Amino acid sequence: MTVPPLLTALDVDGAGAHPAAAALFGLAPADLVSGARLARAVRHAEHAGLTFVTFADAASPSVPGDPAQARLDAVTRAAFVARTTTAIGLVPEVPTTYPEPFHVATQLASLDLAASGRAGWLAAVTPGDAAPAAYGRAPVADLGREARDVVQVVRDLWDSWEDDAVIRDVATGRYVDRDRIHRVDFAGESFSVVGPLITPRPPQGQPVVLARAGDVAGPGRDGERLVDVVLVGGSGAAEARAAARAVVDGDPGARAVVEVQVVLHAAGRSGADRLAELDAGAAGPWAAGAALRHVGTPAGLVALLAELADDPAVAGVRLLAAELDADLPVLARDVLPALRADRRTAAPRGGATLRDHLGLTRPENRFAGAARATA
Amino acid sequence: MTTTDRTPDRAADADAAHPITRPDAQVHFGVFFQGVNHTTIWSDPESGSQTDFASFERVARTAERGLFDAFFLGEGLRLRESRGRLHDLDVVGRPDAITQLAALAAVTERIGLVATQNTTYNDPVDLARRLASLDVLSGGRAAWNVVTTDNAWTGENFRRGGYLDHARRYDRAEQVLATARRIWDAWPQGPDGRVARVEAHGDLVDVTIDPTTPRSPQGHPVIFQAGDSPQGRDFAARSADVIFSRHGSVLADALEFAADIRARAVAAGRPEDDVKVFPGTAIVVGDTPAEAEEKARWVARQQVTPATALHVVGTIWGEDLDGYDPDGPLPAHDPAVAELGGEGGSSTTGARTHEVAARWRALAEAEGLSIRDLVIRVSGERGFVGTPSAVADRLVQFVRTGAVDGFNLSPWLVPSGLDDVVDRVVPELQERGAYRTAYAGTTLREHLGLRAVARRAGTGAAGAREAALARV
Ligand SMILES: Cc1cc2nc3c(=O)[nH]c(=O)nc-3n(C[C@H](O)[C@H](O)[C@H](O)COP(=O)(O)O)c2cc1C
Repeated sequence: MTVPPLLTALDVDGAGAHPAAAALFGLAPADLVSGARLARAVRHAEHAGLTFVTFADAASPSVPGDPAQARLDAVTRAAFVARTTTAIGLVPEVPTTYPEPFHVATQLASLDLAASGRAGWLAAVTPGDAAPAAYGRAPVADLGREARDVVQVVRDLWDSWEDDAVIRDVATGRYVDRDRIHRVDFAGESFSVVGPLITPRPPQGQPVVLARAGDVAGPGRDGERLVDVVLVGGSGAAEARAAARAVVDGDPGARAVVEVQVVLHAAGRSGADRLAELDAGAAGPWAAGAALRHVGTPAGLVALLAELADDPAVAGVRLLAAELDADLPVLARDVLPALRADRRTAAPRGGATLRDHLGLTRPENRFAGAARATA
Repeated sequence: MTTTDRTPDRAADADAAHPITRPDAQVHFGVFFQGVNHTTIWSDPESGSQTDFASFERVARTAERGLFDAFFLGEGLRLRESRGRLHDLDVVGRPDAITQLAALAAVTERIGLVATQNTTYNDPVDLARRLASLDVLSGGRAAWNVVTTDNAWTGENFRRGGYLDHARRYDRAEQVLATARRIWDAWPQGPDGRVARVEAHGDLVDVTIDPTTPRSPQGHPVIFQAGDSPQGRDFAARSADVIFSRHGSVLADALEFAADIRARAVAAGRPEDDVKVFPGTAIVVGDTPAEAEEKARWVARQQVTPATALHVVGTIWGEDLDGYDPDGPLPAHDPAVAELGGEGGSSTTGARTHEVAARWRALAEAEGLSIRDLVIRVSGERGFVGTPSAVADRLVQFVRTGAVDGFNLSPWLVPSGLDDVVDRVVPELQERGAYRTAYAGTTLREHLGLRAVARRAGTGAAGAREAALARV
């Protein structure tokens, strides 16, 4: 049996996924977040043949007061590289917990328009007291339920314009057909939204929704799949594969993507040495969290990714490189070409959508479908 | 839609009397990509997509080629309706401004990028962070056009609903802006400093945040304000760098507005020229005066179609006028509703229908106007119409009499509508020594000739005073 190519994603936040990366390598905050640096990293990732990049984000810094925590809004970052790239998917992390769902829907639809159908959304939850204090709201107790309501209404809003709502009918003077633009009248447990969206339906119909396993309490209304791509991990490859298997057993249409932290042998220094130096940095050791971790040679990473690629339950990997400037060149030179040569991965094609690359079909519009069903 | 009933042609003679007070003043341009409104003619074969990124890019790049200060996007957070049905005659459906401008930042180099964002249905921490992000990524080219959109009808798309009383819209705006400035000022100046925690607890804002966004080369995003009420003007006079007005096509009106803003700025303790005035307007040029007039008439009739004319009047009258003849007279009876809600969009919210109807009726009777002619007459000022040379002379006059600092142009065609201005009017202005021949600076603040941002808020005494004024 042939397995579809492994999707490869990379997070491009800041100096890298290790919390000490920025401070240790002396990147000034202004350089760390500059547009030039961002555009260079994402272009490098695109040339390396990665399927999509993610832009990690959080409403509050993990170390308050530390300028090395400099970070810009993820959707704005993703939009900035929408026109400097042509093939790679762009997936900002946007919390579901406190921001306005209507704005989230508009922003992501706009990103999808600017990126010609390459947008995704890493729908995150925000535990803790910092974010509610920033928004001046009471802490949300049930993060999963709130995430479910927000993802549901955002999907509803993306469908609120049918694809052909703009008719430009000169004879009758009508720019849109108002019967093809719909209110959503969403009433969740903690908020309601009337709709429709102020932005036409995005090119993918609905941008791809990603979330960490368990973050979004699903399913949605009428059993709708709310999360297209589920991020899983494990303490070893076997455990991660089992987690992926559990995702697709629960919902065969979903895609499971394994998160892998990587610290590679680079510039003559071993991965272990590099990790030790990073861990000794001001921000402390790197928590593994749920992710797999590979500290070592590029060949070792190729072997690990090949094992994951050969498991039909694993659709892809999201690489969390300890330090982008050191690890991305090695990924581009020694890791991705090897996997491509074995036909285990494929570079994204210009002109295709992120959905195309993930093998997800363009969703039918719920309102158009309903109209047809009752017609 | 505005209701300024003035005729530029008649005013022209009187204009010659106004003295030139700023003989070296330069004309500045911004472009307002309308997105929603009947200003944009969509029915013409030359009219492109209103949604595709390429249209926005083409307009922004044209403006940059013309050395414009800024590219503007508006905001409207609910699709306009009339009597419970979506309004279907105008261009509608637009991207989120900050997201779109971020994408444009990567394909432009110098032009300023202005996002209209309201203070009622946005969280201060989101606004401050997203605007700072755009500002950093664009190398100091971002601005925020502060509007207050407070109607409950828009609120139905948001968590808090229509929570804010109309009378308090600028209280909230003031607190949100003061909080944003403190967030932008929280970043340390030296290499070893720490980011200050911002706490803002006013009666309409409650924020505790450790900011993550460094400052851009221009310090803060530039602040524009668009809102015409006395409270709006005072807010601009106290807190904005630039006011985006509707008073920019009739010289006497523009001078009166500028004098009013200067007086308010001085009353707020600022130098009188501290608030730049950038009215919205349009330019129509032709090879001869007659050709330009003909084109302006054509533009107006394309913008105000028979259906649009009936719709505009129907909005004020609060009823469907589909049975009326657009080339006939106004309805003989009075409007049913005295004041409009928010569903027509921000420009008609709160309109007193009986006053508007009486004014329109008087105007229509005095000049013998049909419904459609009347709507054309009152639908905003038609702007500057003439040969490139005549238009340039007049623009220079506006700037050098101190009536305006620049113009925010709305092209009536997307994406080609700016070509005439850039290719024909800008060179005329340059010949007169009244327009830049290259960008001198890299930031929007520099383009506009604004003074540098002082660290007003944050930790210093001045900051505490500003925060106290805004009660945050
Ligand atoms: C030239 C101009 C452009 C404006 N553009 C917008 C806009 O795009 N979105 C919006 O919500 N309000 C916009 N407004 C502002 C609203 O009209 C304003 O916030 C509202 O009417 C309340 O303020 P006011 O009572 O002081 O006029 C604009 C105003 C002016 C003068």
